[in-house]
Amino acid sequence: MKELSEVIFVEKLKYTEDHEWVTGSGATLKVGISDYAQDQLGDIVFVELPEVGATFAKGDQFGTLESVKAVSELYLPVGGEIVAVNDALGDAPELINQDPYGNWIVEIKPSDSSELEQLLTVDAYRQLLRG
Amino acid sequence: MENPKKTVLHGWHVDQGANMAFFGNYDMPLWYKTGAKAEHLAVIGAAGVFDTSHMAAVAVRGRGARALLQLCLSKDLETCIGKEKTALVDGRCVYGIFLAEDGTVIDDAILYQLQPGSFMVVVNAGMGGIIAAHLKKYGVGQEVEIHDLTDKVGKMDIQGPLAAIILQKVLAHSSTVFDRLSYFSFKGSFGPFGADSAVTLADGTSVLVSRTGYTGEFGFELFVEIDRLLPLWLQILNAGMDKGMLACGLAARDSLRAGAVLPLSHQDVGAWPFLNNPWQFALSWNETMTSFTKDFIGGPALLKSRWQKYTLPFAGFDPRKINAGEGSFVTKESGEHLGTILTCTTDMAIGRVDGEIVSVAGNKEFQAKGLCCGFVLLEQLCAPGEKVVLTDGKRKIVVEIRADVRPNRTARRPMDKMLG
Repeated sequence: MKELSEVIFVEKLKYTEDHEWVTGSGATLKVGISDYAQDQLGDIVFVELPEVGATFAKGDQFGTLESVKAVSELYLPVGGEIVAVNDALGDAPELINQDPYGNWIVEIKPSDSSELEQLLTVDAYRQLLRG
Repeated sequence: MENPKKTVLHGWHVDQGANMAFFGNYDMPLWYKTGAKAEHLAVIGAAGVFDTSHMAAVAVRGRGARALLQLCLSKDLETCIGKEKTALVDGRCVYGIFLAEDGTVIDDAILYQLQPGSFMVVVNAGMGGIIAAHLKKYGVGQEVEIHDLTDKVGKMDIQGPLAAIILQKVLAHSSTVFDRLSYFSFKGSFGPFGADSAVTLADGTSVLVSRTGYTGEFGFELFVEIDRLLPLWLQILNAGMDKGMLACGLAARDSLRAGAVLPLSHQDVGAWPFLNNPWQFALSWNETMTSFTKDFIGGPALLKSRWQKYTLPFAGFDPRKINAGEGSFVTKESGEHLGTILTCTTDMAIGRVDGEIVSVAGNKEFQAKGLCCGFVLLEQLCAPGEKVVLTDGKRKIVVEIRADVRPNRTARRPMDKMLG
């Protein structure tokens, strides 16, 4: 298990309490899982992705990550429409373990950009992990 | 949660950055930095080592020892060895179940005969005291001594096709040790059972080398005195480091054993009658499976039981799983309720080719994506090939009932084929 000092954080990203990251601004946002999350889950062996065009409310389950240990649900950090999914994860789900910030899972067009303000800053997320 | 216990290798696991978890009252490694997938594949293609010193052992000794074990273990000790059905003798071990009088499972075990009046019973983590008490209860008035050796036995496993090639580097007189060391036999002794000068490590440490394991693959379980375990672990790591051997955690152990259709005690077998499951070979059935060849604790209850649930292995069509546990269940494809999920994990060494399960073992080109597999407990019998649905109430996964899961397993390969 990584010590907190070994966990990678990316300053410009926003985070959620479910250990997801979101690109902070723009018309569309990319969503992935944090380095802490991939370390906790262990080897990811399958990623179940939503259909492009599907819409979800904030907090809806949009997919699952299968690790060797368990199945984990993925929740949408902000409501909106799925405009793209990272198809590379279909053949190589381990990309998330190798580079959790380089390998986004879905891209969404948020329906209510004010929901972005409720996301955690990197400092707040770091604080959450410190417990 | 009470403070978990630590094995003597705990500090090593933590120093290696293992992801640790609570298991059977011990703080154990789930996987190391290499990850569970690489660890699982190392055991299929090369070798893996496992800290199994959380498991418990019980010494059973004296003139009444054999009769007591014959009364308490599900297997008939007089007919348990090989196709010829010969009796348990020195240097052989046997898998069996300790049943309660009502035919439910207390624990599963491997019984080792060191000498005619000296046996070692190896049981699961935390079960040493319970099995010792169980044996004492039925051994009252008999000439038998029972000692719980929990946390007093150093145990590790080395599993995988290169296990013998690696182990021979740390053994003295390895050719003598390996000679005719067939599946479910052992050589040597250690600590509480006395030393055997013919079977030692190169450094002189007494060791019991057993041709057994919990992965379905060729390999050994090794027993030494508890304070010799760390030196043995380090010697074997050193001997295997250039052979692709990895230290493996409990996640790989679980996925390997599930693919090999081996039960996890208290999960796949437990507080229900030990019937209608893939492990009936652990009972002392007669040839027509109408009665037992001996009287033993729990036997009469099984013969009278009306248990009509079936424990069946399954495998999926991709790596997707449903977490076993409350809220998860099994249905027919039509939706009709069928039962519960006992184990659901991913065997990372297998995949499907035209519907057939193929293993990376012996197929070096094959890129396995992994298949979910495990055991279900169903209210009706389903035949191999029948499809059922696993669900957590939201997601649904179609899986196939199987007679077996991972092909090309190596556990039973002859010793001489594994020494290169």
